[in-house]
Amino acid sequence: MQFIRSNTFHWAAALAGLFAIFVTILFGFIYFKIDDYLIARSDQMITTQVNFFARVPPDRLIGALDDYLRQDSRGVHFAGVFDAKGDRLAGNVARRPAELETGAAVKSVRITQVDSGDADNSLVRAVARSLDDGNVLLIGRNVDETREISRVVGAALALGLLPAFCFLLLAGAWLSVRAQRRVEEVNLRVQRIVAGDLRERLPHRNIDEPFSRLAAIVNGMLDELETTINALAGVGNDIAHDLRTPLTRARLTLERGRTNATSLEQLQEAADKAIAGIDQSLSIVTALLRLAEIENSRRSSAFGSVALDEMLHEVFDMYEPIAEDKGIALSVSASSRLRVRGDRDLLLEAVANLVDNAIKFTPENGAVRLELLRGEEGIILRVTDTGPGISDQEHDAVLRRFYRSDKIRNTPGVGLGLNLVSAIVKLHGFRLIIHSGPGGRVEIICPDEQTVRAQDQC
Amino acid sequence: MALSASRRMVVAEPSQAARGYPCGNRTNLMTKVLLIEDDDETAGEIAAELTDRGFEVEWSSNGLEGLAKARDLKPDAMIVDRLLPGMDGLTVIESLRKDQVRTPVLVLSALGAIDDRVRGLRMGGDDYLTKPFAVVELVARIEALLRRPAETRETTLRVGQLELDLIERTARRGDRKIDLLPREFRLLEYMMRRSDQLLTRAMLLEEVWNYKFVPATNLVDVHMGRVRHKVDGPGDTPMIHNIRGAGFILRAAA
Repeated sequence: MQFIRSNTFHWAAALAGLFAIFVTILFGFIYFKIDDYLIARSDQMITTQVNFFARVPPDRLIGALDDYLRQDSRGVHFAGVFDAKGDRLAGNVARRPAELETGAAVKSVRITQVDSGDADNSLVRAVARSLDDGNVLLIGRNVDETREISRVVGAALALGLLPAFCFLLLAGAWLSVRAQRRVEEVNLRVQRIVAGDLRERLPHRNIDEPFSRLAAIVNGMLDELETTINALAGVGNDIAHDLRTPLTRARLTLERGRTNATSLEQLQEAADKAIAGIDQSLSIVTALLRLAEIENSRRSSAFGSVALDEMLHEVFDMYEPIAEDKGIALSVSASSRLRVRGDRDLLLEAVANLVDNAIKFTPENGAVRLELLRGEEGIILRVTDTGPGISDQEHDAVLRRFYRSDKIRNTPGVGLGLNLVSAIVKLHGFRLIIHSGPGGRVEIICPDEQTVRAQDQC
Repeated sequence: MALSASRRMVVAEPSQAARGYPCGNRTNLMTKVLLIEDDDETAGEIAAELTDRGFEVEWSSNGLEGLAKARDLKPDAMIVDRLLPGMDGLTVIESLRKDQVRTPVLVLSALGAIDDRVRGLRMGGDDYLTKPFAVVELVARIEALLRRPAETRETTLRVGQLELDLIERTARRGDRKIDLLPREFRLLEYMMRRSDQLLTRAMLLEEVWNYKFVPATNLVDVHMGRVRHKVDGPGDTPMIHNIRGAGFILRAAA
């Protein structure tokens, strides 16, 4: 019975009450209008008839009245002729009602019918008229049919309004119970989510209904949250794992050096190894901090105009010997003078990272190509290689922190490179597109509004 | 707490290994370095290392006191932490610069923010080092600050037999002509201007290639390998020395 206190139910009840009042008024109005109309019509007919009969010659009046009454199969007509003393001369009216004066307008009177005893005296609209011979002519018409109408209207009201009212109340109750149940269910599920079950979702049907839409919105939010939290948890594990490996190595080296070293040289060697391990852990921490730094910074104020062609040549210059050592043909094609607004150091880092990756993952005798070109959408910075490329399955994973493809498990690296590139690209409002293999192809697309026209620089 | 934890992350290179190279102790004699750093342990490590290298180290753990000492003692170089009690490190440098004190300053910071470095340098710092760092790196940078190459009008650089013509862009060792690519020339020029100094990989990346980050691949080593191969021909006494775990030194062949 809790629903009675619910807001929904209160509204439904108020609505039902209002509806009832409105319908009653409407029906009442209709009833009175019809009643008025019918009475006015009867009155008019009575007046016409009384005028008609009054003009009938007295010798034919009785016969005419009898004919008139005989034709009335429904028995709604009343007529009578009384002498001056009030005795009935003809017609179906037993007595002349005292309150009915001759010459007055049509009014409601009680009339007793002939052959029906005193019991049946019905309310009738009637008029009396003095005839030339001193008799009184009475014409009446039963207006019980208006009563009939009122009964019908009343019945209709009862038949229509009462169920409607009850239906409204029931609907209100049902709605409030339903809403309450859903709130209860949502509450239950939210409690489960709060308790840590992030896979729980709010119930929702595929219909365009506010509650369902709200649930869908909340579910969308939960999806995002779940992904983020899982990613974070994954990152936490990855960091821990990636840090533990070199630290464990460093610890082992130090321990063994301490126990087994017989000379200063051996001890130094152990220390050097340990330092290398610690340095690797530190470089992971540094890379993570740097990533967070770039992701959180709003640096556009420090942006300047960056000549991409010069930058590509710098990166090429830097990596050419490395590629050569590995037997990889590194080439650059950046002839057009294209500039963008951005942070030179960060963009250089991004491109260097891409080239670094490309050279790292391309087998001997392969090729890495650096290109700068003008596409439809803007300036395209492209790094292609003949390495294994990135498969469709790995596509999203490569942007995950610490992700390292199974193919390259044994290649050294921290596994944050593409994250960094992605963060830098995002900071600039550029787009990073990783095409799927075979052959690696990564593009940074700088939309045109970011382009600084070369002539602006002159 | 986090700050003090990260401060303790100063990587102390075993001094024995680092001391393995002679770095002109004579020139360091009586060279006064003022260290303003509030973490005792870090300061202790740095001071010990610098003392080992023949520097005279004055230590202050407070910004205001540090500023006073900088004015009184007139040190040859300063190492200033960014976050200090009393007065912020950058403010210390700024006040000194306002008084026309041109002492070279190395700024230390646990903050890695990208803009931080720029701010540190703009406020009058001469170099910037982010914690954690290797002590060798710090010493190398201090020595570089103390011995900044004078702006010479000379068009030829000479270290021992090695000669670099800055106009012709040519190099020779004794009679032997050395063919250098532009980037190799740039690297060698930088090293020749700072001969007998330890140059760390980070310093070379920053100064020669203008890289503000440390790339995954050992870029510097590969480039250095090329240059060394050309400079130190077969039979020559090596001039470019690789100091393990630290960096490189160019020295005149004995």
